[in-house]
Amino acid sequence: MSTNRKRAIIAGDGAAGTILANKLRFHSDPSEIEIVVFGKSENHYFKPDGVQIPFGFKDYHNSVKPTQSLFNYGIEFIKSGIKEFDLDNSTVKCENDNTFSYDYLIIATGDRYSTEDLPGYEKAASHFYSLEASLDLKRKLSAFRGGKIVIGQASIPIQCPPAPYEFTFQLIQYLKLRGIRDKTEIHYIYPLNRVFTIPNVSDFVEKLMEEQGVIIHKMFNVDSLDPEGKKVNSLEGETLDYDLLILVPPHSGQKVITESGLAGQSGYIAVDRHHLNYKDYDNVFAIGDATDLPISKAGATAHFQSEYLANRIANEVNGNAFFDSYNGEVACTTITSGTQAITLFFSYDKPPRANFQSKSDYFLKWTSSDTYFSAMLRGIM
Amino acid sequence: MEELKPTRVIDARGSFCPGPLMEMIKAYKQGKVGDIISVYSTDTGTKKDAPEWIKKSGNELIGVYERNGYFEIVMRKTK
Repeated sequence: MSTNRKRAIIAGDGAAGTILANKLRFHSDPSEIEIVVFGKSENHYFKPDGVQIPFGFKDYHNSVKPTQSLFNYGIEFIKSGIKEFDLDNSTVKCENDNTFSYDYLIIATGDRYSTEDLPGYEKAASHFYSLEASLDLKRKLSAFRGGKIVIGQASIPIQCPPAPYEFTFQLIQYLKLRGIRDKTEIHYIYPLNRVFTIPNVSDFVEKLMEEQGVIIHKMFNVDSLDPEGKKVNSLEGETLDYDLLILVPPHSGQKVITESGLAGQSGYIAVDRHHLNYKDYDNVFAIGDATDLPISKAGATAHFQSEYLANRIANEVNGNAFFDSYNGEVACTTITSGTQAITLFFSYDKPPRANFQSKSDYFLKWTSSDTYFSAMLRGIM
Repeated sequence: MEELKPTRVIDARGSFCPGPLMEMIKAYKQGKVGDIISVYSTDTGTKKDAPEWIKKSGNELIGVYERNGYFEIVMRKTK
């Protein structure tokens, strides 16, 4: 046993925190570094399945696992949030006021749905960004007999940016299967002058939407909701009425991040884009949805960041040289029709290419929760 | 013509699309009619997106100016 055993504290038990913990455990010797994860969740939900669960295309039981069961041997999971970060003294305070010191701190607290930023949201809108919301939407869709559906997002950024268009394509399939597509108008709203952030992917998706008769409203930044009148108003002066409003909620960073002074009002942490360090702290990092990096907030992002960071910390602890960096790599498979999908690979400097869709990519998407829980989350791939 | 003094300046240099536009929209929502909002950006997509949004939202585009290594978009909140 080393007399100078280090301690890595990981704040957060979502995709980023779990993958990092498991990868770091794989790459390091438990006698050299202790890994402690703080988080409050009972269960870990695979959020990408939210684009299929509301239609009954996937059984949600395969999308949820007990959080505690997902950490590899040699990782301590403390079921508590962190309420204070004291970077100058290298300590964190958890919710029962116990204080823990660290040699490495990795902030993987994710972000949150700040519905308070859009009055009337809870009453007016449905969404598919949590299991509870997806199941609630499933009930609403079952009762839907035709009418006008408005789909979009309340703001930018959101987790998994392609999800609104993926959901739209699955909705079309669902309505066709139920025989009510011709009784339903689908209106797609988007804050920018396209239907997705990345222009070439947007062109690809927009064409598919047009072929499917989706009515597109670009530069529609949601300003206010009228739950009683069933209307959604844009900052640009447009108003749409609806029978069913499916709106991804506004997102913000965690309150504890702002309260600890680690970020401004948005709650998203600024980090070095290639090394993920917070400011000039050599031993403090942020990964996943908690950062303000200009890339997708997605599990795939957290996966690539964790690979880099686990290797970096392990090599440092083991006394080895390490010269790699994180270059904004993201890979994601997104649904583009009832039975097809595309896989996008990109980085800070290389935009994705959206060339073709395939059934094999759809199969990849459909089985991704199995891959996620058995391999990706475990740090195996 | 003399350039107007901005009520609020947003330095979004180094931020990628749609960051600068979203910052501008946030400043617009927080501001009051008559405010002059200036955004510094190095993202070329913003040069196209921001003026389009200003036009669509019915506000006034005062100008897009080339600066030293970045550009500046200036708008007036009119509604």
